[in-house]
Formats: sequence, structure tokens, C-alpha cells
Amino acid sequence: MDFLDSALLGFQVALQPMNLFFCFAGVLTGTLVGVLPGLGPVAAMSLLLPTTFHITPVSAVIMLAGIYYGAMYGGSTTSILVNIPGEAASVVTCLDGYKMARQGRAGPALGISAFGSFIAGTLSIVGLMFIAPPLAAMALKFGPPEYFSLMIMGLTVLTFLASGPMWKALLMAAFGLFLGCMGMDNMTASYRFTFNILELSDGVGLVPVVMGLFGISEVMLNVEQSMERSIFKAKIEHLLPTVKDWAASLGPIVRGTVLGFFLGVLPGGGAVISSFVSYAVEKRISKHPEKFGSGMIEGVAGPEAANNAATGGAFIPLLSLGIPANAVMALLLGAFIIHGVQPGPMLVKEHPQLFWGAVTSMYMGNVMLLVLNLPLIGLWVRILKVPYPILFPLILLFCLIGCYSLNNSITEVLLMVLFGLIGYAFKKFQYEAAPLVLALVLGPMMENSLRQALLMSAGSPIIFFERPISAILMGTAIFLLVFPLIPKFRQKRPALGE
Amino acid sequence: MNNDQLSGTVWFILGLAVCLGSLQYKLGTPAAPGTGFMPFLSGLAICFFSGIGLIHSTLRRRQGEGWAPVLQGVFWKNAMIILVSLLVYALLLVPLGFVFTTTLFIAFLLRAIVPQRWSVVIACSILTAAASYLIFEVWLKAQLPKGLLGI
Repeated sequence: MDFLDSALLGFQVALQPMNLFFCFAGVLTGTLVGVLPGLGPVAAMSLLLPTTFHITPVSAVIMLAGIYYGAMYGGSTTSILVNIPGEAASVVTCLDGYKMARQGRAGPALGISAFGSFIAGTLSIVGLMFIAPPLAAMALKFGPPEYFSLMIMGLTVLTFLASGPMWKALLMAAFGLFLGCMGMDNMTASYRFTFNILELSDGVGLVPVVMGLFGISEVMLNVEQSMERSIFKAKIEHLLPTVKDWAASLGPIVRGTVLGFFLGVLPGGGAVISSFVSYAVEKRISKHPEKFGSGMIEGVAGPEAANNAATGGAFIPLLSLGIPANAVMALLLGAFIIHGVQPGPMLVKEHPQLFWGAVTSMYMGNVMLLVLNLPLIGLWVRILKVPYPILFPLILLFCLIGCYSLNNSITEVLLMVLFGLIGYAFKKFQYEAAPLVLALVLGPMMENSLRQALLMSAGSPIIFFERPISAILMGTAIFLLVFPLIPKFRQKRPALGE
Repeated sequence: MNNDQLSGTVWFILGLAVCLGSLQYKLGTPAAPGTGFMPFLSGLAICFFSGIGLIHSTLRRRQGEGWAPVLQGVFWKNAMIILVSLLVYALLLVPLGFVFTTTLFIAFLLRAIVPQRWSVVIACSILTAAASYLIFEVWLKAQLPKGLLGI
């Protein structure tokens, strides 16, 4: 089946009324959770995962994917209008987006964010269609050493780009690996670190950890502060950017798309990092870097394009290698498995309808988001006007229900509360939780690959450097680890917090 | 002691505990790694990176970086109220049931953090509990606990 036939098959599947409906439901839900601070795509996807049990795998994947890229669109609205990121990937949009709104330019900021997201999202899907199938074919040659090196590189990239000292990010990754080891050892079927708690026999659940670290701790920090929100009150006009705005934004959108796509492909990359890197790049190459943070449209266009491009890129390792690039993809991996489909090198061959249907549905989803988002901005603003003292109990309730309903387990709810406290402490002591989450997801796969590789080489770690692909991946990881130690380059590490 | 020295020490102790805990399981050999192999490596990594952190933060301490209060100037009691209310919710959910516990939970938070008018508290808590019951239990079939009242 050539590329054109495959794409046509995909459109046939995606255009079926039922799939269009689930695509719409996904992007609408995604936009809503993106708009609402404290409820990210992971929480929304885990809440809605049980509802997909009664629909076809194609529809399920289409809807869950829609939530993910829909949230990227929605997150910018809150950043621009309230200065609170609706979603982690929109943190950086606050810097210039909110300043633009304060200067009476909320319309162009929201407009360029939507158009940039649309362009980047669409181009990244084209990239996904072209890259995933050949990569899947190549992945058939991957063995345990290559998989292990790939995951090590992913974790290193994330820690390299994390804010603050690198030792803190590496510490988080190491702790995440430990959490990933808890529960049953897949190779010997014996249990580790379960403390006689039944729920831990399958390991520490991703949902309680993520909801605790990102949802509960965020609310705890917010209620410590004064909860008076400065909601944008003026009428939002001129959503269509002017020629001058387009001229300033086109370069950042293109660069953001390329950066976001390739960072999204890397395990450990993803939307959050892409948006920060894009902002750092735009600031560095700008003729007026000092003006960044004061309402530059480039500071909105680049990161928003990057975080949407990253969503397309993030599907590549999952669909072609079976490796989730981030926590959202890990949930999607769970959804695939629940529906009896194993993502990986054989997916394109064994389930072409699912692969091409899901990919082409993203075109539809992006068009829906563009059509939906601009006219619905008024509605999102009204939702945002709900005062935070009334909104935060609802966010907590969503987290509680989402966590409980996954396995009907109170222990998991308690685990979520515990991770809420841990996340609160992390933020107080300036530790970033993202490396922990990725390491938790990759941990079991890394352990299997490491042990299989060591079995293959009779215990020699040289195997990771003997095979060309593995050597390149491992070499890159080592370079990123050593790079900050070189005094000349120490200041050049693109820390996300800057 | 500064903040990173304290957190680094906690991490180091945790790393040691992980390493020692891993020894209960078989570590195996590099040629045939056992069940405890990977947790041991991760514990070792935690010790190693927290050790680097401790050295780094001690050097900064010598340059004059002291303790930065983490709870000063914020309403930290609000955060603790949230934490306790979540714990109580988790403990009461099964015996009292979803609707009753949720109504109490929402009402408590609306009064305890930034006190709302009683009319707002009663309306919001009942509406939220009813709406979430309809969405999650009736529509999404989430199987929430029934408790005393059977709902």
C-alpha cells in the first residue's frame, strides 16, 4: 500500500460520522481542560478512558488524541487572559501573551496563538505521516541495547533542559526510575517495594502520581496566595492578526514548528520543553531580546506553534516504536493495550485503519479547533470568570473522581494525596517533577531493556557502544551530561526557567 | 544550613534506604541481573546526585547562601486545610457514599478557605454533587461508592 492509498484509507476512516463526532468531543473536551487551570490533558484523558471501553479502538484513539492537542490550543487562552497557564505547555505564553492583553492586544495574541497552533499542528501531522512508517520499519532492527540507549537519551534531554541545577533534575529522574521499579518484576514475577499494599503490586500508578504532583500541589500553592485574579475585562477585538503581526510571527511559527516537532519526537521532549526552547531561541536570535516579556508577539507565536507541533511529533515514538514520549502518550499506550492493540513497529502493517485513521483525524481536529476556538473565546472567558475560591474545589473533585474511578481504589486516592504533598514540597524546594514522571513511565521498559541487553552481552556494558545506533544515542546522552561541566559552556545551557 | 543542603540530605537518606531495601531482593550479577538490580542502581543514582547536590549547596553556603524561608508570607495553613480535607474525603467516601461526602467536601472548602455566603455554599455544594453524580455515575458509569444513603 503506497502513501496515497494509505492517506485515502485514513480519510475514509476519519470522515465516518461516528469518528468525526468523537474527534469533535475530544478536541472540545481538550480545549476546556486546557482553559481550566489545574486540569491538564493527563487528568482529562484518565477521566475519560473508561468511557472508551464501549467504542471502537479507532474512535477511542481519535478522541483521546483530540483531548491532547485540544488542550494545547486551550491552554494559551488562560495564559493570555488571566496570566495563569491552563496547561503546563502554556506557561511560557504568559510572559508575553498576558502583557499583550494588558496593552489592549488580547485579540491578536489569541488570534496568532490559534493560527500558529493550527499551522504547526497541521505541519506536524504531515511530518508524522511521512516519518512514522519508515521509522517503524527501521525500528524492527532495534534490540534491547538500542531501546535502552534511546530511553537514556530521552531522560537526559529532559534533565538537560529542566530548570535549575541539573543535579536536581537527574535526582528526580533517578527517583522516578525507582518508583517505576516498584511492584512486580516482569522478568521474575516477584514483587518489590510493595509494602504489602495490594494496589502497589502493579506498580505505582501513573494517574495518582501525575494528579498529585501537578493537580493537587498546584491548588495547594494557589490557595496560599491571594486568590484575586485579574481577569481581562476589556472587549476582545481584532482576533485576526494584522500584516505586521504576521510578518513578526511567521519566522517564530516556522522555527517553533520545526523545533517542537523534533523535540516532541524525542522521548522526554514534548510540548512543555518545546515551548520553552522555542521561547529561548526566539529571545536569543531577536534583535530586541530585552523586549521579550513586555508583550512581544514573537514570544506568543513561537511557543504556541512549538507546543502544538510537539503533539504530532510525540505520536511518532509511540506509534512506530511503542515507546511513549511523555505521560500523555503513556496513557494513550494504556488505551491501545486496553483495546487489544499493541503500538509499535507492526502497528502500521497490522492495523492500517487505526494508524492512518487516527493520524488523518488530526487534520480534521485541527480544522475543528481553529473554527471552534476563535468564536468560542467569549465562552472560555466566561468560564474563567468563575472566581478561583469557587473553582478550586471543583478541580480537587475532578482529581478525586478521576483517581478513584480508574480502579475504584481509595488507596490510590491516598497515594494521590501523598504525591500532592510531595509535589508541594518539590515546588517549595525548587525541584521539577517532569523528569520524575517520564522516568516513572519509562522505568519498567528501561529495566527490561537493560537486563536483556546485559544478558545478551554476558554482563558487558560495552554492548551499548558497539552497535552503531545505540552508540550514537548513548554518545548524545553522555555529551548532554558532560556539556554543563565545561566552564565555557556552563552558562549556555538553555535552562527552562530563564 | 540552606534549603538545598536540607533537601540533599533527605534525598541522600532516601537513596541509602532504597539501596538497602534492594538488597532484600536478589541483585544478581551484571551477566544475570536480579530483581533488586535496577532499584539498587536507582538508589545508587539518588545517592550520587544528592551527594553532588550536597557538595554544591555546601559550597554556596560558604559563599553566604543561607536558609530561604519556604512558608513565610504565604497562607500555608490553607494548603494544609486542603490536604487534610482530601484525606478526610478519601476516608469518608466509602462509608458515607459519593453524594453525601462530596456535598460536605465542597461546602467545607467553600467556607474554610475564602468564606463564601451560606447561600452560595449550599447551592454550589448540592449542585456540584448532583451534577458530578449524574455525569460520572449515571452517564459515564464510573461506579462511585454508594454508602449509607445508597447513592
